[in-house]
Amino acid sequence: MTPKMLLLPILLPAVLAVVLLVIPRTLRLVRDALALAGAAVLLYYGFVFFALKDLRFNVPWLGMGIDFDLRLYHFSSFILLALAGFLILITLYSTVKIKDAPRAREFFAYVFLTAAFANGAVLANNFVPLVFFWEGLLVTLYGLITIGGRPTSGRTAVKALLIGAFCDFSMILGIGLLWTVSGTLTMSQISVEPTGLAAVAFIMMMIGAAGKAGAMPFHTWIPDAAIDAPVTFMAFLPAAFEKLLGIYLLARISLDFFKIRPGSGLAVLLMIVGAVTIVLAVLMALVQKDFKRLLSYHAVSQVGYMILGIGTAIPIGIAGGLFHMINHAMYKSGLFLSAGSVEHRTGTTELKKLGGLRKEMPLTAFGFTVCALAISGVWPLNGFVSKEMVFHGALESGYTIFAIAAWVGAIFTFASFLKAGHSVFFGERTREVPAVKESQPAIVVPILVLAALCILFGVYNKLPLTLFIQPILEGHVEAGAHLNFASHALDIFTPVALISIGCLVLAFLLHRHGFLKTGRKPYLASEPIHNLPVVHKLYDLAEARVFDPYEQGVKVLHGLSLFLFKAIDRPIDFVYEKVVTFAGEKFTAILKKAHNGHYANYLAWCLAGLIIVAGAISLLMK
Amino acid sequence: MIILFVALPLVIAGILPLVGKVSRRVVPDLLANATLLFLLVYAAVAGRHFIAAGPVLQQLSWFGEPVAIRLALDGFSLFMLLAIALVGLAACLFSIDYMEHYGAKANYYALFLVMVAGMNGLVLATDLFSVYLFMEVAAVASYALVAFGLGQDELEAAFKYLMLSVVATAFILAGVAVIFGMTGSLEFAAVAKALQELNAGAVVGVASAFFIMGFGLKAALVPFHAWLPDAHPSAPAPISAILSGLLIKVSGVYAMTRIFLNVFGLTPALSTVLMSLGTLSLVVAAFLALGQKDIKRMLAYSSISQVGYVVLGIGIGTPLGIAGGLFHLFNHALAKGLLFLTSGSVQQATGTRNLDEMGGLAKRMPVTAMTNLVGALSISGVPPLNGFWSKLVIIIALVQAGHPVFAVIAVLASVLTLWYYLLMQRKAFFGKLNEKWAAVKEAPFWMTAATVFLALLCVGIGIFFSSTVTTWIQPAADVLADGIHAAIGSWGF
Repeated sequence: MTPKMLLLPILLPAVLAVVLLVIPRTLRLVRDALALAGAAVLLYYGFVFFALKDLRFNVPWLGMGIDFDLRLYHFSSFILLALAGFLILITLYSTVKIKDAPRAREFFAYVFLTAAFANGAVLANNFVPLVFFWEGLLVTLYGLITIGGRPTSGRTAVKALLIGAFCDFSMILGIGLLWTVSGTLTMSQISVEPTGLAAVAFIMMMIGAAGKAGAMPFHTWIPDAAIDAPVTFMAFLPAAFEKLLGIYLLARISLDFFKIRPGSGLAVLLMIVGAVTIVLAVLMALVQKDFKRLLSYHAVSQVGYMILGIGTAIPIGIAGGLFHMINHAMYKSGLFLSAGSVEHRTGTTELKKLGGLRKEMPLTAFGFTVCALAISGVWPLNGFVSKEMVFHGALESGYTIFAIAAWVGAIFTFASFLKAGHSVFFGERTREVPAVKESQPAIVVPILVLAALCILFGVYNKLPLTLFIQPILEGHVEAGAHLNFASHALDIFTPVALISIGCLVLAFLLHRHGFLKTGRKPYLASEPIHNLPVVHKLYDLAEARVFDPYEQGVKVLHGLSLFLFKAIDRPIDFVYEKVVTFAGEKFTAILKKAHNGHYANYLAWCLAGLIIVAGAISLLMK
Repeated sequence: MIILFVALPLVIAGILPLVGKVSRRVVPDLLANATLLFLLVYAAVAGRHFIAAGPVLQQLSWFGEPVAIRLALDGFSLFMLLAIALVGLAACLFSIDYMEHYGAKANYYALFLVMVAGMNGLVLATDLFSVYLFMEVAAVASYALVAFGLGQDELEAAFKYLMLSVVATAFILAGVAVIFGMTGSLEFAAVAKALQELNAGAVVGVASAFFIMGFGLKAALVPFHAWLPDAHPSAPAPISAILSGLLIKVSGVYAMTRIFLNVFGLTPALSTVLMSLGTLSLVVAAFLALGQKDIKRMLAYSSISQVGYVVLGIGIGTPLGIAGGLFHLFNHALAKGLLFLTSGSVQQATGTRNLDEMGGLAKRMPVTAMTNLVGALSISGVPPLNGFWSKLVIIIALVQAGHPVFAVIAVLASVLTLWYYLLMQRKAFFGKLNEKWAAVKEAPFWMTAATVFLALLCVGIGIFFSSTVTTWIQPAADVLADGIHAAIGSWGF
């Protein structure tokens, strides 16, 4: 295995993307086979690299310490493997779901290009290649959202692009600052104390990483994209890839590049971002009336747990955050895919129109149920384990308030999934949707694989924790520290676990109350909370995007540009348009009038000119 | 064999009317274009070889007896010969298709070549009287060419042109007489030497004033410019291109520059007068161009304005200023030639020169519109076209020589230039296609070929401007910067 092999996860999908783009529509089967084969090769090499763990590819590139430097080590090989796993599931799913879409070729090309950029970003060991790949992801993000093909898709794509660009810009500035502080761009050599300028660098880079993961307040494009973009895209990028990349970078920032201490100001800042994201996003999720939009707010909310976990800066919290990252990617991807399966057969994802699908789509319903329980943190699924670890970490950090926020999030998460599941798969069959069949195997298999992994990672949590998570923390904690998190992971007779289970019971009661109070309509189960006096107003404002920094920013910029146009541009324009042209035309008119075509006139000018010239010469010569 | 530059076009011009009796079109086309192509290659390839070891002199002899005609080739003359051959060839190619409907093509080419011979001779002349002589050769041919269409306007314009030109030559002759009276010689070298020793300031001043008026009339500097906007637009388009692109520069700017810089020596007084006249032309003519509705009149006023730039640059008297002025002369010859040729294409296609009647022609004549745009942007000084660099050099030279006010005026006038050229673009080529021109077609092959040739030169020189400057402009500027030493040192027989 030569170091050059590290180029394979970048070049193979990139080349494949071009090939997929040019294969004509009529050769669909070839396209699908090629895409699956490519993804399978990547998955195979994902395992190979994971077994290998240590490889470095370094060629000089632009000088000034900017090298094309790729480094495979434990953390990056883990993310690489996870990315490859999601890629093959999404590819398989897309072969059916995207089959008849008008821009299917582009979709496949963008997916593989995304994979190439993501692999490159994960492997990069120099900030400049990292930024290069990171920005490439923005391009494919834009392209993938526009494939949604709805009238507002372009607008949402621009929104995602601008928010992403803002976060990335912040990250680039942070990298620049970090460069000045540390003097190198090689990521594996950087480890600085987060004080002074370095603290600013940390915050700016954190914005980049958290923004990629979709934390508040950089999340607002995700619920819009849930409606405007293909659902496969949601399962692919916001649910899986972006979480993996964003949290990977956040972990690298707070573990490697900066030495974040438990309870320090920056750690608390991270925890605040995490806690706020959990609570606010889940409250938005609770009242959604569309399946995909509901899921998209959870995709935001769950990031909060990861950031909160990493922000504790305590081994068990960090491990919980990272474990939650991989767990979330699995169940949220599974949830989006099952929403896509429902959409595929019924043509809608509005909760009101759906109901009782469990009999017609039993496999999708099963996959959804497992993933929903996992995200809600029900024992003994993976979500339970990682959330417990985050709760423990939050409590150990001494800031009980963050643990409470996390628990509040858990209540509403379960409540909203009870509502969603009840509305779509259980309850009474509605008449809006005609009789449907279960989706094709290519759609169901990825859902079931993800559901099975959720069960596996929960029941046998020792496997992922020892195989994937714990080695990441090695070398970042004091020697001899307790690193075995698997021992008490499924223990339900601890105070923390009991509170969590109490939260779930509370959520169930909330849902039941709402269900009974609104005339046994499950999709209205959240209305009692929605209609609380002040809360209702806030919800209305949120739905009107009053709290969306992007929309507000756009409004402010509109106003500003209007002001500049009226106050500065128009007056200047007036000077050019009216004053200058008027003066010019007047002067021209006078000159033209003098040129009246009379020969004698012209001759007179010549003689006058001669006299003046002669006079001038004689004057000047003296 | 530098006499070839004069003799060859003259001989061909003599043959052409006879040939025209036999072949109306093909042979005259071939013969005229081949002559100009030969002159171009001869100037570009052999010419540089000739002057590799300094200026070349040729004493003409008649059966072994020397006669009083001496020709000299140095960097400055070679540079002018190249410009004449380039623009002349483009105009001549253009004429193949354009002159079809005028008839009498052989006579046209004969006059054309006489004009070229006159300009070439003027550029190679080494004495004041030869300057006058060759100037009249070129001028007489040009009177006939302006009137070539034989319409009411053409004849009136040619007559007006003739009348004011006569005034110019009269004053030039007067100036020559003053110089001869003082120094007893007409040779550049001898005059320069004698004036050095005489130290006769006042009389030289009078002669300078006469020359400025005479050559200023030829070069159409304001206030001696009024004949040009009548004469140039009336001529057939290729002739307009030659008149505006070459003749005013050769018989006006070249002659004036040669005499003032190499023979009289540029005094601060002369420098100031030249710069002032240049600036005055620059500004006044730019405003006048702005007010024109006739595309060729607009181009004619633009020529006055750009000659102002050239005179301003040369008038500074510093090596950089002279180089900038000469470079602009060259660039303007190419670009203005190009613009007049495209205006001819437009006029032939639509039958009008009125900008208000045009509109959207780019859709019907894409090549013409494109080449016209290149020419307009080049003259307006838009990078990376050639005109940008020469204006830049002039402005830098102005600032370096301590004339910031002139520099600012030059920049502002350049904005004016861009203004009227954009106006021309908008009215003629952009915008909605005027219904009247729905059936208009692109110009015939040779016409477009000639314009594309010049447009490519504009772009190419813009991109490779530094090599153009070092190979062609710098040797010419060096001769001028040398002042009277160039004439005394190398031309003394």
